[in-house]
Amino acid sequence: MGGWVGGFVNAGLVAGAALALVPLIIHILNRRRHKPMPWAAMRFVQAAHKRTRRRVRMENWLLLFLRMAAIALLALAIARPFTGEKSPLAGITETRRDLVVILDGSASTLWREGVETTFERGVGRARELLRDLSGARGDRALVVLAGNVPRTAPWTSPEAAAGLLETFQPTEEGLDLAAALGDAIDAAQRENALGARGALEVRLLTDLQRRSFLFEGGGEGREPLGEALDRLAELGVKVLVEDVSTAASQPQNLGISAVAPSTRVLGPMITTDVRVEVRNFGPETKSGVRVALEVDGERRPAQIVDIPARGRTEAVFAVSFPRAGEHTLLARIEDGDKLPLDNTRAHVIHVPPPARVLLVNGAPGAVIEEDEVGYLRAVLEPPLDDGGGIGIASPFEPRTIPPEDLGTTAGDPAAYDVIWLANVESLPAAAVDRLEPWVAAGGALVVSLGDRVDASSWNARMWRADGSGLLPAEIGARVAVRERSASWHRVKSFALDHPALAFFADERFQPLLTEVPVHEFFATRLVPGAKSLAVLDDDGSNALLVERSYDRGRVLLWTSSIDPAWTRMPQSPATLVPLVHELLRYARALDEEPRNLPVGAPLGAEVATFPRGMSVVRPDGSKKPLDGEAQSTPGNRWRLPSVPGRETEASGLYSIQTEGAGVLSFALVIDPLEGDLDRLSLDEVGGIHPALVAVRNEGSSNDAAGAEAPRRGELWRPIAALCLAFLVFESLFGAWIGRRRRVRA
Amino acid sequence: MAQGVSALDPAVLDRLASLSLVARTVVEGFMAGQHRSARLGSSVEFAQHREYVPGDDLRRVDWKVYARQDRLVVKQYVEETNLVCHLLVDASESMSYGSKPWTKFDYARWCAASLAHLVLMQRDTAGLVLFDREFRAKVRPGNGALQRKEILETLDKAEPKGSTGIGSVVEWITPKIKQRGIVCIFSDFFDDLAGVTQGLRRLVHAGHEPVVFQILDPEELAFDFNGLLRLDGLEGSGMQKIDARAIREAYREEIQKHQRELSRQASLLSIDVVTVSTADSLDAVLSTYLARRSARARGGRR
Repeated sequence: MGGWVGGFVNAGLVAGAALALVPLIIHILNRRRHKPMPWAAMRFVQAAHKRTRRRVRMENWLLLFLRMAAIALLALAIARPFTGEKSPLAGITETRRDLVVILDGSASTLWREGVETTFERGVGRARELLRDLSGARGDRALVVLAGNVPRTAPWTSPEAAAGLLETFQPTEEGLDLAAALGDAIDAAQRENALGARGALEVRLLTDLQRRSFLFEGGGEGREPLGEALDRLAELGVKVLVEDVSTAASQPQNLGISAVAPSTRVLGPMITTDVRVEVRNFGPETKSGVRVALEVDGERRPAQIVDIPARGRTEAVFAVSFPRAGEHTLLARIEDGDKLPLDNTRAHVIHVPPPARVLLVNGAPGAVIEEDEVGYLRAVLEPPLDDGGGIGIASPFEPRTIPPEDLGTTAGDPAAYDVIWLANVESLPAAAVDRLEPWVAAGGALVVSLGDRVDASSWNARMWRADGSGLLPAEIGARVAVRERSASWHRVKSFALDHPALAFFADERFQPLLTEVPVHEFFATRLVPGAKSLAVLDDDGSNALLVERSYDRGRVLLWTSSIDPAWTRMPQSPATLVPLVHELLRYARALDEEPRNLPVGAPLGAEVATFPRGMSVVRPDGSKKPLDGEAQSTPGNRWRLPSVPGRETEASGLYSIQTEGAGVLSFALVIDPLEGDLDRLSLDEVGGIHPALVAVRNEGSSNDAAGAEAPRRGELWRPIAALCLAFLVFESLFGAWIGRRRRVRA
Repeated sequence: MAQGVSALDPAVLDRLASLSLVARTVVEGFMAGQHRSARLGSSVEFAQHREYVPGDDLRRVDWKVYARQDRLVVKQYVEETNLVCHLLVDASESMSYGSKPWTKFDYARWCAASLAHLVLMQRDTAGLVLFDREFRAKVRPGNGALQRKEILETLDKAEPKGSTGIGSVVEWITPKIKQRGIVCIFSDFFDDLAGVTQGLRRLVHAGHEPVVFQILDPEELAFDFNGLLRLDGLEGSGMQKIDARAIREAYREEIQKHQRELSRQASLLSIDVVTVSTADSLDAVLSTYLARRSARARGGRR
């Protein structure tokens, strides 16, 4: 900016200088306001006027000029003109600096090389930058701790900002650079630090982790960074990027990226493979890495794995959980490295108890083929001990009752997780009245039809057109093939991604579902909100399996029979077993709130009994009572007070302990990719976006790039002083004139 | 203060309906005080005794005669016996100015009426001339009650108008005044001083005794105005827009310069100048003047 004035911080207020015309207008108006008066001694008046005319005119013009100038200067001062260092007025400007320091506080900055972590080096560098500012000169600083969510302090003096730095702690989050830059711009615009293009200095102190800077097709969440940088470029602001890490461009680092059972845990005493995925983010193969797993705090023998460069390996642990309920897993790399944070990872696993299944047998028979639930019972009951002395736990606890026992003590829905109504002719109203609230509270109802079913009775009791009844569809007419040996129906299509049918999504197993004949079924018409999970190839494309949610529970309708009379499925164990097992597991699964969360996520859960004495235990062992009261929710459950995200910023295992509702565990984990320390070089930084400028830290903010950072010199103080001088002079001059013109005593 | 003095307050006089009453009030007022035996004429040249009458100044009683003859007589001087007073009253438009409820002209005619009353009461002769740029009206010198009545009526009927021309009028009228006497000129003297001086000089050379009564309004002296004014000159002297405060000091200097010059010129001609403000009490005016005359007379100066 080589001109005299580069611009105005409050450009719109420059128009206020027009108010300088007000004294002139008043002067002109006053000239018309002479009071007329007859006068006899005109000769003396004319003589006096002639003598004083010139002097009086000069005095008045001078006063007018002083007043106009003072107003104009005041307006200009309020508009806050500024100029650049090359301006002739630079010598009288106030070169205030507004500095934004964005400190990368992501998990990767916990990398420790030598004595300091990257974060500590960043804090030290930020202190240096702040020391170069002067609060007395009006310099201001805004410090931002960047993580997933930026923590932005308000504009303050450099000394206060340095104090705030001391309170900053690194996070275990990733770096959302777009959010940090956006926050900084917003704060700068609010505090009018961006009155002039380029008057703001932004320094990003970071470890240059490559993934933090990707924004062109770099994956989800990267576009906002491009937009933020574009916005900065429009404002003429450069981000001076400093590398505060001493790590190599591809530092060696191992991290656990996942801990989870390979399959769904079926129940206690059923062995499950727990896979621990370990990633090598470094350029060299790592051999002999010891990976351990703790199950409920009990360490299992470590496994030794080799991990190729930039590759991954799994350590598989066979785990059998002795009981149903919550279990915690904690995987650990026992070899230390410079970023220990990602060397452990927790996981909470829920081992379901055996599902309590009530089979309501609408058509009992003496033999399995004739018994409506014969095959069902066979696939659900645990296998007999063959004498080998090894008991195998079953994930199901089936019980069979006749329809008339439904609603009695033997058939109390409250005692079961799933009730299967198999070929039941009809249900009494009382039974329906007990079933509806039970399903609504989370129970699962499976209905399979058959020859005993009285469709009209079912529809009357359990179906409503608006979908408020239990049935997911209106039962229509029976549809049967003429000749069972010659023709049959098949499953034409099914929901491949539905949990109950996911087993059959595998191409190898699809025929087990789609090729099994179905000879007879009921046509159905779905209620609003219900969905077909499997559709037959008949003319009407009727559903074979329909599902609907009913408050917290589910109802599944099998439109055929579960016995061989209507379909060959029962006689295909390869079909029936996975079909029934998965159907029941799906049916009984409650929508539990997740227990495995990213760091910073709030913790919340519902429990079945009223909780007292609620407290949260953090990974470091500290304990704190929960704030608030438990709230009742539908289904006679209780929602615990939430643990806010600001209290879950550390990764690891948390537990909410209650009296009466037990202990609930949560695993908060970091983004495993934070362990990928692949770094940009400073030379690459400039190529990412024109708003990014790489700076080599040379120990002072007065480095070359810092010198490039535009300095805005404001002129408002000297202009205000000039205005004040004009006002004082105008007052004194006016008083002097008035005294001269006053009547002498 | 004596009751007579308060009765001479211009505000009081302004409320009196007739000039005759004004004149009588003024004269009786100042004669009731220490000016009981004041006379316009006074001289050290003893002429004769006359019998004392109530109201005569006790200082003029000849105590020697009383001691010898046991009768009260007062001394009379030469002028007392044949005083002629010519009253010249400026009736130009400039005399119509007044910041009080009464104008300079009102004050001038009160003065003139009072003097005429005093002179005629003393059985002397008084005449009247009203002028502006030229002679406007006159009452030939005479005495007696009828003379008094005519003078007061002429004064009463007069209205100030026209422009001023004191010098030319006085020059013109001087040869027309047959009897030597006192010529009292009542004006604001807002005129060219050279002409005025010339006129006064002629009067002096003609053997008259001019007395200048410069009658001014207090505002014309002080010019205590503020703000912006458009002054419309009387007598067609133009218009001027001014900032009153800005020119006040210069104005005062101008008017004071004019007055000093008038006084100087009059002093050179041994002429009394009585500068009067229309706010002043008439008795103070007249007594001041008469006392000065008396003092001069006792000092032997003419």
